[in-house]
Parts: sequence; C-alpha cells; structure tokens
Amino acid sequence: MGRPVRRRLAFLFAGNLILLFTIFALLKEGSSFTEILGRIGPDIAPAALAAFALTGIIFTGAIDLSIASMIALAGTIFGCFATRGYSPVLSFAICAASAWSLMSFNGLLVTRLNMPAIIVTLAGLPLYRGIALIIADSFIPNFSGNISVHSDAYHSPGKLYGGWILLVGASVAIMWESFGKHPRLWLALGNSPEACHLMGLQPRRILSSSFVLGGLFFAAAAVLYATRVQAVEPARMALGFELQVIAAVILGGTNIFGGEGSYLGTFLGVLFLYLISQLLIYAGASAYLQDALTGAIILIIIAVDCALHRPLKRMEELS
Amino acid sequence: MKRATILLLILLAEISFFTALSGKQFSSAADLLPYLQSYFADLFIQSAPILILAFGMTIVLMTAGIDLSVASIVALVACVMSSFPAGPNFYWTALPAGLAVGISAGLLNGILISRLDVPPIIATLGTMIFFRGLCFVIMGDLEKSPFLDVPGYHVFGEPQGSLAIVIALFVAGGLYFANSLWRRELLMIGGNRIAARYAGLRVERRLLQIYALVGCLAFLAAVCFTGRNGSVSASALTGLELHVIVAVVLGGTRVQGGNGTIIGTIFGVLFIAIMDEGLRGAAIWGARNLPFKISHLEYVMLGLLLVFGVWLNNLLQQRTVHKAAQHG
Repeated sequence: MGRPVRRRLAFLFAGNLILLFTIFALLKEGSSFTEILGRIGPDIAPAALAAFALTGIIFTGAIDLSIASMIALAGTIFGCFATRGYSPVLSFAICAASAWSLMSFNGLLVTRLNMPAIIVTLAGLPLYRGIALIIADSFIPNFSGNISVHSDAYHSPGKLYGGWILLVGASVAIMWESFGKHPRLWLALGNSPEACHLMGLQPRRILSSSFVLGGLFFAAAAVLYATRVQAVEPARMALGFELQVIAAVILGGTNIFGGEGSYLGTFLGVLFLYLISQLLIYAGASAYLQDALTGAIILIIIAVDCALHRPLKRMEELS
Repeated sequence: MKRATILLLILLAEISFFTALSGKQFSSAADLLPYLQSYFADLFIQSAPILILAFGMTIVLMTAGIDLSVASIVALVACVMSSFPAGPNFYWTALPAGLAVGISAGLLNGILISRLDVPPIIATLGTMIFFRGLCFVIMGDLEKSPFLDVPGYHVFGEPQGSLAIVIALFVAGGLYFANSLWRRELLMIGGNRIAARYAGLRVERRLLQIYALVGCLAFLAAVCFTGRNGSVSASALTGLELHVIVAVVLGGTRVQGGNGTIIGTIFGVLFIAIMDEGLRGAAIWGARNLPFKISHLEYVMLGLLLVFGVWLNNLLQQRTVHKAAQHG
C-alpha cells in the first residue's frame, strides 16, 4: 500500500469520526444514536459490496458504468421468480447468478471486442435496462411499472442480514487484498499493461478475471439491493447508483486510471458518502437539495482526486 | 459518392421496413406524398434537438472526449427559462439567462476535464446527475408551461423555425468548421493529445472552448424543445444523451478521437430518428404480436447500436491504417 493511499485512509478515518460526531450533535430529542449506528451496516451493504467489485476492475484501469442497469435486470429476474411463487432461496440464487453472469459478460466483451471498457459498459446502460423492461413486461401479468414482492421471506437478505453479509464481504476483501494474488495482478496491470506482457503475464486474462471475480461481490450487492426494496421498478431502479459507487471507490484512494488503491479505502469511502447523506438529512435539507448537494460533493471529490494525480500524469507524459 | 448512396439506401430501407411494420397501406402514389410530407415534418421536429446536440457531440468525440450531461443541460436551461414570466419581455430576460446557464454548465464540464484532468466520461456523468438535481431544485415535481403564452415562441417548435436554426447551424457552422484550423487542431488533440501539446497547441483552451460550445448548443436545443412541447418538467429529456452519442458514433466518429464528419453525424441522427419514429408507429403491430411494449426495444437497440458502431469504426480505422502501411 503506497503512501498516498495510507494518507487517504487516515483522512477518511478522521473524516468519518467527525461526521459521526456532527450527526450526534445534530440529533433531536427522542432519536437514538445507537439505532443510527446499527442502521449503517445494512444501509451501506449494497453500495459497499458493489464498490468492492468495482475496486478490482478500477485497479486494472478499466471501469464498469452499467452496474445500475445490471442491478435493475438482476432485480427484475428476482421479482419475476418471486411473484411466480418460486422459493426465496431459488429466487436469491437466480438474482445472484444473473448479476455475476452480466458482469462476467461485460468482462468478456471488453477483452474479446478489444474496445474501451468505458464504452462497452456505457452501451450496457440502456441495453440491460431495456432487457429488464422486456422481461418484466413479458412475464409479469398486467405489469404497470413495478413488481411488488409482498412476502417478508423474500426480503430477509436485504432487511435482516445486510450488515452480516457486508461484514463477511468486507473481511474477505481485506484479507484477499493482503494475501491474495489477484488484487496484486490487477494493480500491476493498471500500472503498466506493457510491463505485465513483458513479464509473461496475460493482460487480457487478468482484465477478464477482475470482472469475473468482482462479479462475486456484485452478485451479493444485487441480491441485497433487490431484497431491500418493497417493489422492483425496472425503469428507475438504482438510477445514479453507478456514480455513487465510483465516487466511493475514488474517494477511498483508488486511482481512477488504475494501478493504485485499496479495499479498506473503498469501504471507508462508502461510509463517508453515506454519513454525508445522513448529515444532510439531519441538517434539514430538502430531498431535492440533497440530491444536488450529494452530486456536487461527489464531483468535488473526483475533481480534487484527479487534480492531485495531475502532476504525476504530466511527468509520465514527459518521460 | 458511393458511400453517400449506400447511406441513403440504408435510410430508405429503414423507412420502408418501419412503414410496413406500422401497417400503413397506400392505394396510389397520390396517397404516398401527403404521408411522406407529414412523416418527414414529424421526423424533423422530433430530431431537431438531437441534430443540434449531435453537432457539438461530434466535435467533442473528435477530441476523444464525451459529454453525457447534454440532456441534463438542455433540461436545466429549459427549467431556468420556464421560471421567467411569459410575455414579450421573455426574449430579453429568459433567453439570455438560458444562454448564460448553458454556457456556464458547458464551462464547468470544460474546467473539470481540461484544468483538473477528470476523465470526460466521469466528469460529465457527475455533472449529468448534478444538473438534473438542480432541475429538481428549481422545479420540484411541477411542470411549467410559460412558453405557450410567449408571443411568437411557438415558431421555434414548428418545422420552419427548427429548420432555420438547424440549417443555419449546419451550413454556417459546418462550412466554417470544415475549413478551419480549429478543426485540425481538435483532430490532432483527439488523435494524440501529448503530441498536440508538444506541437504547441493550447490543448486546455481548446477543450474548454468545445465544452462551452456544447453548452451553447444545448441552449439552442432547449429553445427548439420548449417551442415544440410548450412545457417542461425536471425529468424532461432523460436518456437523450445516449441517442445523441449513438447517432454520432453511427455517423462514423470514433470514440477514441481523431476523426469524424458532420455529414456522417446527420446520417446517424436520421437513422436514430427513423428508428424512434418507426418504433412509435409500430406500437399497434407490437401490441398484437409481441408480449411486451415495442418501445422497450429502443433501449436494447441503442445499446447494441453503440457497440456495433464503435466496433465498425475501429474496424474501418484498422483497415485504413493497414492500407496506408501497404502503400507507404
């Protein structure tokens, strides 16, 4: 872990503590701080797990912009199975398998078509949402825009076990980063694809593995997202989720151009953005203003991060 | 010439396919003429904002950039203009304010991309959400329609008004652009930014200029859109940016930058507009024969066309390079 990443981790630790303290100070009478702390895990679980998936991909210098549409498609498939009366476990499994397959498919497209990941996954944005709408319209009788899943059994992963699943996911990610081979290979690819090639590694296979293995985290994120909401709305589900996740990853110290970053930073980045949104709520900002302010904060974070990497980029151009 | 003929044939085949799908029947050529007149008038009014935005997007893609926030800028400009009271003064108050908002939004994108080195797709994805958030701050859930009460404003939404704006833009702008040093500089920036910087080009300034230009064009698109619709809401034109990008890519502009033509873009916009209009016209056929709304296919088609367009452009570029290597 490089010095800039360690500095970012320290900043995020301090930032999150300050935000928690400010929220505590803004609490009104009757509100419980312990309850707020308990809600954090389940609330950030889908974003954190999706961010873990994207962290590995961004390590390599690639990106996946279609995660929101993939969640909408996996959620729609889950909704179709649930409303048709299939068992909850089978519905969760199908949802997870669809999300994993879609992310792996994106990896396949990026490596086989030899096209920029950003463009392939930009195309996935309307494509997967369109397929979600077609599936919902074809398999849900009298589909009116959303798929309501009433039984509580179908909501247990998102509503009851979200925090625990996140705990397992975060532990696996951080342990994997410390002892696993793949995150190092992804970072190496992000630093220099040419050097990887000269070292006898296969850049395409490494890139593809970041999508396939990241897909495992993403599968868990999709199940949690789909089971947290009462009704799956294929046209609007998870809109803007991709930027929230990308911002958390970058905020966590991962370089958007690849080659640098950490899973722990991503986790702290997700937490930081969540606490900011909570702070805006407790500060009394209107729902519309919250969206605009959150967007502005994310933009500022990304801009500052890119500006900090600017001198390094210029030096690379000169060499 | 050969390429232009092929492109025209593709468009004619597309029109024929969707006309057949819509179930229209013509007993004589006399029936066909009024149908074609109203078809092309509708097509043109619908596609005028896309044509205007595609002009700017072509220039942006030529520099290896992208602007995902165009639709949000158009919506923001329209929302700001709708906040002004209708009346003759609208032209001296709302329109300058709208233009200022459009240019400022474009400049914000330009600063993020050129001065802070944020990747264009990330910067404009962020501003897309930020500008849309501002639309909701201004409008809430309301839909405002002051444009209907502005004397003479409806002209911008009629075929003649939209046609005048589009022709003026494409003829004057296109002619200037085709022969200008500015175009060559933009192509060089798109082809190899580092080389362009070493060659002494002011890369940052050029990028700032083109994103501000897109903001300016978004204002023109907003005028056409509000002239046609008469009203605007905060969620207006959601998803339009993908139509614009797909149209430009299908027109032969490479997303990696370094080439692109305005004529190709016009073809791309017409292709997308005919598809949109065709899918709308085929709604009855779709309801009878498909288990889902045919309009959902639009999203799928946009995604597939984007991948196909980028793949095709890459293939053509590789062939050109291969040929040049063989001859050289």
